[in-house]
Amino acid sequence: MKLHTLMFGWEYPPHHTGGLGVACQGLVRGLLKNGVHVTLVLPHNQGATEENMDVRFPTEEVRTIIQVQSALQPYDNFEEYAARLNIHNIPREINTLYGPDLGQAVEQFTAMSVEMTKDIHADVVHSHDWMTFEAGARAARYHDKPFIAHIHATELDRTNFSPDPWIAEKERKGLMAADKVIAVSQYTKNMLTDHYGINGDKINVVYNGHDQKAASTEPVIMSQTGKKKKPIVLFLGRLTIQKNPWQFLEVAKRVHDYRPDAQFIMAGDGSMLNELVDRACALGLADNIIFTGKVQGKEIEALYRAADCFVMPSLSEPFGLVALEAIAHGTPVILSKQSGAAEVVEHAYKVDYWDTDMMADCLLTILREEPLAMQLQAEAPRVLQRLTWQNQAGKVSSIYRDMTQC
Amino acid sequence: MTPKICFYFQVHQPYRLRDLRVTDIGKGDPDYFDIEKNDAIFRKVAEKCYLPANKLILDLVKTYPDFYVSYSLSGVFLDQCEEYGPDVLDSFRALAATGKVEFMAETYYHSLSYLKSLDEFCAQVSKHVKKIQKLFGQTPSVFRNTELIYSNEIAQAVRLMGFKGILAEGADRLLEGRSPNEPFVPPKFRMPKKRELIIQNNRPLPERSDNIHVLLKNYRLSDDVAFRFSDRSWVGFPLNAETFTDWLLSSGGNNINLFMDYETFGEHQWADTGIFEFVRALPKIWQDRGVQTATPSQVIDSWNAKHKNIVDAHSYVSWADSERDLSAWQGNLIQDAALSALFALEHPVKESGDTELLEIWRKLSTSDHFYYMCTKYWSDGDVHKYFSPYDSPYEAYRRYSHALCDLRTRLEEPKPLSKKHTM
Repeated sequence: MKLHTLMFGWEYPPHHTGGLGVACQGLVRGLLKNGVHVTLVLPHNQGATEENMDVRFPTEEVRTIIQVQSALQPYDNFEEYAARLNIHNIPREINTLYGPDLGQAVEQFTAMSVEMTKDIHADVVHSHDWMTFEAGARAARYHDKPFIAHIHATELDRTNFSPDPWIAEKERKGLMAADKVIAVSQYTKNMLTDHYGINGDKINVVYNGHDQKAASTEPVIMSQTGKKKKPIVLFLGRLTIQKNPWQFLEVAKRVHDYRPDAQFIMAGDGSMLNELVDRACALGLADNIIFTGKVQGKEIEALYRAADCFVMPSLSEPFGLVALEAIAHGTPVILSKQSGAAEVVEHAYKVDYWDTDMMADCLLTILREEPLAMQLQAEAPRVLQRLTWQNQAGKVSSIYRDMTQC
Repeated sequence: MTPKICFYFQVHQPYRLRDLRVTDIGKGDPDYFDIEKNDAIFRKVAEKCYLPANKLILDLVKTYPDFYVSYSLSGVFLDQCEEYGPDVLDSFRALAATGKVEFMAETYYHSLSYLKSLDEFCAQVSKHVKKIQKLFGQTPSVFRNTELIYSNEIAQAVRLMGFKGILAEGADRLLEGRSPNEPFVPPKFRMPKKRELIIQNNRPLPERSDNIHVLLKNYRLSDDVAFRFSDRSWVGFPLNAETFTDWLLSSGGNNINLFMDYETFGEHQWADTGIFEFVRALPKIWQDRGVQTATPSQVIDSWNAKHKNIVDAHSYVSWADSERDLSAWQGNLIQDAALSALFALEHPVKESGDTELLEIWRKLSTSDHFYYMCTKYWSDGDVHKYFSPYDSPYEAYRRYSHALCDLRTRLEEPKPLSKKHTM
């Protein structure tokens, strides 16, 4: 019998702000390959399509009845966020983290969840992150099916352990209501058992996957003068406290002292942009750093391929898909030990997020030692052969099967 | 015929590197080695293995007139004895004083020098022979290369250096179905004149040896003790001395070579596995059942068979892993780069005439540094991790490459001032 999953998501490519959308898409595609029938419910029409997938979102008709205005995205609202992201001054005004509308949007998505899925006869209900937990839990109760809460990031990860109590409570309730929790790493599983009091027996770890795209034929960014390219060090991620971009600057400063030729690229947008630019200037990095703002698609690929090293210094990173993406482009990586990716990536330097000196030292070693860089480039991608979305979705579908049999 | 049992125990500790940083390079001669860690590990192994095991062996050789054993103690181990364990050194001297313990020669720094420099190889073996003479009052006549790395050429080189025997792994590909339980000989051939000359000028022993015999490790019986003794999933568990003696006798032949790391006793197999009681029980049983023991020299000296067993090792064989080749130390890019970069400094270090730099450079030649950089099982997603004091192979390379960078800066002689400056 073909399994049917009713899935509640929040964002889906092409319209997404971070790893959640990418992971959701990877998992859906992987499940379809594993022969699972997927019905995906999203808060609004995001143009998402996959062959053989049903997509549901509130129609105009339903919107009129329920008055949904949810164009919000999980990582907003930047301006409000900025005030407390000054690391000398946290936490402040925590309640404004997501803006007042996010709560409303979540409540309305939840309210519609049963109405939108009444005609669906799925075997399991599967929700992604706190915004969709209650929607999933209600639908599961209505349909009397097992409920799976998939956790891609916790409120603690996003806020450097200063959670918005309302959100943390939503998270905790969803996790408690779930018959099974899927965590994207052991690191996240530990977070759930240690800080949310969730019983470890009902948490399964399924690492995120990565699907290799065909190698791009676009040329790498080259020096226009024909001289040897200067070494490029890349940061890519939202410029928010969780991603620890401040640390990247401190590392850059130390590297710059020994390798004045090194160029640093901070790719991504976020509320910390202004203070990061100020800090980079204060550190004397003005001539050696580029802030790209938001990048996408081919720009991202070109950055990965041009970089001699990718640094992911996150404070707390449930998984960190960017690490796999950098590796897929043949870039040596330095990862925060406080990340899920560090559990699966072997050929990399793994450093505590706070250890600026060690991060700089590893980076300088990679830039100095060509055989090391070559080995990291050549060997690290082996992990991608294991972590395909098809493999990882296969693990999720085994969980479905286990739950529907009992 | 009842086979003789030939025990050889390897005793070695490397000088592990400290957490060197880029910021240390070129800043006034930092210490490369982690004194505290090396001291702590040495003391831990001394308490768990060296001291209790030496006490036991001393007791056994004194009690049983026919019980002989042999050791190879690396030079860097003996140096650490002097630094961290005079009590350990004394206990080895007590063993030597019985006259029933043979000490073998090896490269002083437990190095891979043969792979890169015959000059340096000879120098390290000579230094080791002198050390053994000084500490134990005996001159080694049998050689064992680092991790039993062996080839036809090594056997000939070692013969020209004056040794009558060499140890090697009884790898299946060398034996081709034959039993390892007899002395073997390498194929005869002349080494290139140039290499013969290097050996002649650096010979550790007075005369070249006309013949050399190869003693091959019986890896099945050796590993029964060294690796499987406490393995509860092993069909032979729990192994007792009677059963093991039955296996030895049924293995037959002239000599059964039980070669293993000395840390087997108390460190790899903890005391609570019963490993010490197992060893204690063996000599009595052997005495009762007429089984003799012999050191490698004794095995070779008493071997007078007319036939010759030729062991042909065109490529390198070692005792490491199931591959039994060089892949634990060489093969990935960082391992190869590290060893090449080290030996690129051989002549600058020697020409500098600076004995302190030479000593540091040689400590960096220890095989363990390269072993810690091994990644060969990772590709299968295998959880098997090499024993290492560092977080990862890349951490090993980070420290090692920093040490070499600093050594390079110390070798760069201060440039003579140009005229512009002196005027």
